[in-house]
Amino acid sequence: MKTVYVCNDTITGIFSGIYDAWKAGKGEEDCEIALRGMLDFQLFCDYVEVEETEHKAIAVEALIRKHLGEHAYGAIYHAAMSADKGKGDAVLGTMLAARQIPDSRKIMDHLGHPKVEKVFELGRNVFGEAHSYKGFLRFRELKNGVLYAEIAPKNQVLTCLAPHFADRLPVENWMIHDRNHKMFAVHEAGKRWVIVWGDKFDEKIFDDVSEKEEEYARLWAGFCRTIAIESRMNPKCQRQHLPYRYRSDMVEFTNYSNP
Amino acid sequence: MRIQEAMTMYEKLNILTDAAKYDVACTSSGTERKSDGTGIGSCELSGICHSFSADGRCISLLKILFTNECIYDCKYCVNRRSNDVARASFTPDEVCTLTMEFYRRNYIEGLFLSSGILNSPDYTMELLYATLYRLRKEHHFQGYIHVKAIPGANQELIHRTGFLADRMSVNLELPTAESLRLLAPHKTRKNILAPMRLVQNRMSENKQEIQLYRNAPRFVPAGQSTQMIIGATPETDYQIIQVAESLYQKFELKRVFYSAFVHVNEDSALPARTGEGPPLLREHRLYQADWLLRYYHFQADELLSEENPNFNVVFDPKCNWALKHLEEFPVEVNRAEYKTLLRVPGIGYKSAVRIVKARRLGLLDFADLKKIGVVLKRALYFITCNGRMMYPTKIDEDYITRNLLSAGEKLPSEVTGMGYRQISLFDDVRFGNCSEMAL
Repeated sequence: MKTVYVCNDTITGIFSGIYDAWKAGKGEEDCEIALRGMLDFQLFCDYVEVEETEHKAIAVEALIRKHLGEHAYGAIYHAAMSADKGKGDAVLGTMLAARQIPDSRKIMDHLGHPKVEKVFELGRNVFGEAHSYKGFLRFRELKNGVLYAEIAPKNQVLTCLAPHFADRLPVENWMIHDRNHKMFAVHEAGKRWVIVWGDKFDEKIFDDVSEKEEEYARLWAGFCRTIAIESRMNPKCQRQHLPYRYRSDMVEFTNYSNP
Repeated sequence: MRIQEAMTMYEKLNILTDAAKYDVACTSSGTERKSDGTGIGSCELSGICHSFSADGRCISLLKILFTNECIYDCKYCVNRRSNDVARASFTPDEVCTLTMEFYRRNYIEGLFLSSGILNSPDYTMELLYATLYRLRKEHHFQGYIHVKAIPGANQELIHRTGFLADRMSVNLELPTAESLRLLAPHKTRKNILAPMRLVQNRMSENKQEIQLYRNAPRFVPAGQSTQMIIGATPETDYQIIQVAESLYQKFELKRVFYSAFVHVNEDSALPARTGEGPPLLREHRLYQADWLLRYYHFQADELLSEENPNFNVVFDPKCNWALKHLEEFPVEVNRAEYKTLLRVPGIGYKSAVRIVKARRLGLLDFADLKKIGVVLKRALYFITCNGRMMYPTKIDEDYITRNLLSAGEKLPSEVTGMGYRQISLFDDVRFGNCSEMAL
């Protein structure tokens, strides 16, 4: 009978589920990884609650890194951050498929395999969204000098964004708030960044911006308006590159677009 | 005597952005740099777009002119001295503050500093150098900087500026020396090519220095680029891509940008104003051809010729080339060389790489190609999988043209919006005569 491993939607959760399935020596057909809260109940299945531990996650990470290589780990890690509910299963399927081919490190080239293709697709999607946010995210300076940004991504992209901004703004105190997943990436000048979960906070603090903030936002919005060439107007092209869903948190499209 | 009220920062930025907007390049790619932990800034190899303006162009850099108080009188330029427009100049400190504050808020990826010629080329270049120096050494800015080298400026100045910038560019302005003399009387081809050559030579020396001393300062690490205006002068597409090709080969440029001529001035030397707006389709075709030169191993002579000097309006240059060289098709996807795959319409360089990798692990069929990202509705006329075509098709120019068109080949609006057409029994696209249309 098929066994469905139910785990939380975190890296630790998914990797723990994979650890249990892998340990049980299941084949591709008779096991599945499902995420709590996104379950489609099926008949003739065993549902097993996964006990999630750091130890299991670290073991699976090491397994992937060692046998599938860094490149594949990157794709798998990104795929595991996706909003897709089949992601755990795709990752497990990819790992099982890698055992079947002579050189497991080439697994991500094996795009003919449906699970590998799915991991590739999900990974690319997450990477793409994270890359977009590297550009479209906007900080505002609060009274106390902290740079604060809000985003609403589909996938969990904070762990992709934080290293980028930690490298870019090492001497600043900054914080990125993911509204959809209720997560924060927090960076204190000169230290390492951390992820904080939580949805209880005083929102007013984030609206209390510094003196200069409004001036720079206005300058920037003006710049964005002036740089466009009238005889080449092409809002459709603009929309393709910068969909509406990003714009609600971008200062040039909100407060100052119609002075 | 000139009486002037002090301008606000907002007005200044407005004037100098407006003056810079016709510059094309806004790329921030080509350098990878980590922050050293003291200042702010880093660079990503792929470049990052931070916003998109209403004309659909990417905003990646703070693209401004240092000044638009220009002593030159180039006929196509909005800032020429004979135009009556509002003039302004930044100070180096103002540019530094703007860049730093915008960068902190993640508005921009870096600075693109260009300039009109204030007093003299040397004077202007010195100001640009001073700005970059402050930004790098006093504000410890480590983000991307693209700066224009001013033709006619002192070599030493250009040389020093190159060590502070990531990319340098000298505008070619117009494709031929003849046109340049006609429209930009104060610029000469020689003056433009000299700094280009200087940057090229210095870059190749720098490569050797870096091999010897790993921490040697880097000179223009993201390479140099140039841009030219399309449609202000009577050059053909063939001439233009030949110029581009020789720039890539002889000057090792990273990019050549094309800018569709926008009518901003009235002048007898410029083409008459029409109601059609800038030649955007032509610009688009030139960019497509440019990619074929840089990434697809095509030569300019293969794409166009003296007899056939302009690009097809209906098909992109690669598709057009394939239709004229049907003797090389169909191509067997499971065996063909990488370079042959690149020449198939519907297969881009990324899908070509994926095909080469994936076929080592098993035979590919059409369903796999689709997953890999091949555009089958185009490619199907030119490829076989395991000796079979996707559908029975003829390898015949008319037949393929007709089918590509009726399969909803995305036609540019310039073609679809051509307006009314006399209806005749015999020139319907689907019945004969289409070879003429495809020319």
